[in-house]
Amino acid sequence: MDGDAMSVCIEIRGLSKVFTTGKRRVVALEGLDMDVADGEFVCLLGPSGCGKTTVLRIVAGLEPATGGSVLVHGKGVSSAGPERGMVFQEFALFPWRTVRRNIEFGLEIRGVPEGKRRAISSDLIDLVGLKGFEDAHPDELSGGMRQRVGIARALANEPTVLLMDEPFGSLDAQTRNLMQKELLRIWSATKKTVLFVTHSVDEAVFLADRIMVMTARPGKIREVIPVPLKRPRDRTSAEFIAVRGTVLAELDEEFEKARAKELSPD
Amino acid sequence: MPGSPAVLAKVKNAVTANWARLVLGLVSVSIFIASWALISVYLSESGSSLSPYVPGPLSVADAFVSSFVDSVPGLADTTMWDMISSSLIRVFWGFLLAMLVALPMGLAMGSFRVLDSMGKPLVEMFRPIPPLAWVPIFLMVFKSFWGPIGIVFLGVFFPILLNVIFGVKNVDQRLVDAARTLGAKRMTVFTKVVMPSIVPYMMTGIKVGLGVGWMCIVAAEMMPIQGGTGVGYYIWLSADYGRYDFTYATMLVIGLLSILTTGVAEMIEKRVSRWMGMR
Ligand SMILES: Nc1ncnc2c1ncn2[C@@H]1O[C@H](COP(=O)(O)OP(=O)(O)O)[C@@H](O)[C@H]1O
Ligand SMILES: [Mg+2]
Repeated sequence: MDGDAMSVCIEIRGLSKVFTTGKRRVVALEGLDMDVADGEFVCLLGPSGCGKTTVLRIVAGLEPATGGSVLVHGKGVSSAGPERGMVFQEFALFPWRTVRRNIEFGLEIRGVPEGKRRAISSDLIDLVGLKGFEDAHPDELSGGMRQRVGIARALANEPTVLLMDEPFGSLDAQTRNLMQKELLRIWSATKKTVLFVTHSVDEAVFLADRIMVMTARPGKIREVIPVPLKRPRDRTSAEFIAVRGTVLAELDEEFEKARAKELSPD
Repeated sequence: MPGSPAVLAKVKNAVTANWARLVLGLVSVSIFIASWALISVYLSESGSSLSPYVPGPLSVADAFVSSFVDSVPGLADTTMWDMISSSLIRVFWGFLLAMLVALPMGLAMGSFRVLDSMGKPLVEMFRPIPPLAWVPIFLMVFKSFWGPIGIVFLGVFFPILLNVIFGVKNVDQRLVDAARTLGAKRMTVFTKVVMPSIVPYMMTGIKVGLGVGWMCIVAAEMMPIQGGTGVGYYIWLSADYGRYDFTYATMLVIGLLSILTTGVAEMIEKRVSRWMGMR
């Protein structure tokens, strides 16, 4: 331990990622450092295409890094594993499984006996507010409810980290606000470490303990902005608007850079 | 909202549209049958040499009924039921064998690039050959029971194989990723994500395959060989005996059977996709 009061959950040093498709080389990430403490809620914010999804996929173990190191609780990440749960923007629910069987997927493949599985999924269904929809299939649910399933499914494995890739990005504004509150409730009930990707400043300020603003491609962390506001946060309060302004200023600069880069490639 | 005037009007429109369709359909079918009857009568009255080939609708209907209740002309102690059952049994075996080979092969070729690269040239070499081109050789080698089954096998095999390969390659990568983050390893991804994902593709292959299977069985059974049976065989035999009324009746039977089997396949498909929660 390096003397921090809280222990480190995710530790990323000098992370780089190069995608090669045919002759094209895309340097998505370069020299990215990041620390996330246990139980912390961190938002990763940046212009689209800056590599946010790539960071999450590397931490999840879905994508190998090109260089650098990624440690989760001191252990190097080599492949995907149930201790790092992921929630996807497009939900990625199994369409042929009911809500309950989607949630039980991880338990099922670990061989948890049926009775125990049922007990765990029932608790999670209560937690995420899906009571009465246990036997529905994903295509019968609204977007917000689908993402509740996505969250419950990730939680069923009792992961130490929850990786969320713009989970509310495809929801309408009202549902989105509701889901943000719901997520905070679930987070305080489960005490997970959350690494949450978004491109919405408002969402980041509402949710995060700390906001990490990324640079335009190649992505790295430009600035870490703590959000010292008590929850529940009031979007109309002066403090909220002040933090929002700080983050927005950082992000605007990166948007400009990204735009300039788009206009003159290479 | 149910019961609101707009919805009622819509329902009413739909009902009227359905009725109109039914009536129009009946009109065209009646016109067809009437013209058929007229042509048949005209040919026989004018003493045309074509007359025997165009029996009237009534005599075909008569042949249709009698083929089920009495024995058919040309074959003692044999009814249409016997023909149907021999053909169905062949289609069933050909279909089952094709399924048992095509499914694992398609899964393997879809999953492993090496197997795909190896299998593809062979598939592309044999697929364009119409299954019926194999009829003479198959009948000589596999004889009258297994020969037609082999033809059906070839007809059913390729649609299922190609659809399964396509299905495996089109598995939603996001679902694979989701499964992996939930702890699934390669084998589990295969059984719990790939297999369920290909079911709709497989059903498409089965439906197409069954259609082709019926085309194949009719032609494959038609060969004039010793101890022939089946609807295809009887098409040929009745024509050979000059009983064209029974030839047409058998054609009708084949059409109905084809509708029936694809209907059953569609029903299974709907059941399966509903059971799987996909519509
Ligand atoms: N599989 C891939 N192959 C090639 N390029 C990719 C791949 N995935 C992402 N990229 C590229 O890497 C960059 C970062 O992508 P991504 O992490 O999805 O950004 P973000 O999530 O911030 O929008 C983009 O320029 C994207 O085109
Ligand atoms: Mg993204």
